[in-house]
Amino acid sequence: MTRRTPPSASPARPTTVVVLRLYIAGGAPNSMQAIANLEAICAEHLKGGHRLEVVDILDNPRRAMAEGVLVTPSLTKLSPLPAAQVVGNLSDKKRVLLALGLEPHVQ
Amino acid sequence: MSSDRGVASVQAGRVTSSGLQRLLRQLPVGGMERRAIEAGEIDAVIDYGSANVIVFPVARRALRDAANRAASAERKATLEMPKLNSLLATLPRAEYRRLLPALEQVTLERGDVLHEAGAPIRHVYFPVDCVICLMTKVDDQRAVATGLVGHDGMVGIPLVLEVGVSSVRAVVQVAGTALRMPATRFTNEFQRGLQLQRQLYRYAQVKLNQARQIAACLASHRFEQRLACWLLMIGDRAKSPELLLTQKNLATILNVRRVSVTTTSGSLRSRGLIGNDRGSLSILDRKGLEAAACRCYRPLEAADVA
Repeated sequence: MTRRTPPSASPARPTTVVVLRLYIAGGAPNSMQAIANLEAICAEHLKGGHRLEVVDILDNPRRAMAEGVLVTPSLTKLSPLPAAQVVGNLSDKKRVLLALGLEPHVQ
Repeated sequence: MSSDRGVASVQAGRVTSSGLQRLLRQLPVGGMERRAIEAGEIDAVIDYGSANVIVFPVARRALRDAANRAASAERKATLEMPKLNSLLATLPRAEYRRLLPALEQVTLERGDVLHEAGAPIRHVYFPVDCVICLMTKVDDQRAVATGLVGHDGMVGIPLVLEVGVSSVRAVVQVAGTALRMPATRFTNEFQRGLQLQRQLYRYAQVKLNQARQIAACLASHRFEQRLACWLLMIGDRAKSPELLLTQKNLATILNVRRVSVTTTSGSLRSRGLIGNDRGSLSILDRKGLEAAACRCYRPLEAADVA
């Protein structure tokens, strides 16, 4: 996993609560990485202005299917609209920020 | 762990590589799912055709290793736990390993009733760091403690004497951990294990002696002596000078008015023998408290000898 250096300038602060759902597969390596990466991103960019639900598809495969999940780890932004999705271990911070609507400043 | 997880893991184990390839082909070409899989960032794929979760081999190995580590840690903890109960600790290794699968670790809270007087015994308990009071009813409202069980013993001695009903109410006084076994399994194991039989017959005699001593003490000694004696006995079994006992608990155990406990414990406290922090009693000066207690108190090692 490549951790990128956070941008020096802080991106725009959210004004509304961002509702996220992360689908994982138990304690599998990418799933654990995804949780750690997402927590770091949320702590840095959302400062608590978010709600995160972690769904383990090994415990609850039917729910994941009902919600159209294809692979795990898989992050869905439910609110504010538009909804967005990122898959993988979330080590590509820029992609995650784009999905969250918190695009970092273009260098 | 839910049953869903078990099913998913087993089914995932049966997936052939061709099945996985078929599944991957169903993902959109150039889509983010395929890219993430190629980058090795995906743990599992959901097969909508068979309604299964297909865990990738690397992730499956990691999950299996983690599960094995957890199971091994749990086995080790259960293996070591019986050593903390004197009765189990003295059993030969083979006998104790045979009992192991039947022992379940339970956390007991103060006030939990393990056995009710006159009711069938469903489990026997081997305390590790909790203390259980055996209460004998004196009338419809009141009962008095006639026995105390800690890491030195077992709750459920009537089964040893082929009686399936408890004669006392067994109430947890100091919260903690115990190992329990279903009564039917215990009866079978007791008949098979010679060393277990010896230990428990001897322990039954210890309990009988303890009850006799308590009866003699009740009839002969001043309340201050009795209170000091009980505090020491509970302290020995709780393995800690912090008794986490309130004056109300002690009044119930000893079947006296709460004011008697307040007055007498106040006297012991004024002499620096015990402390009372936020309603919880603790032993500060063990030697001093032993001097204040009647001769009915004997440290656990000595009392353990029938």
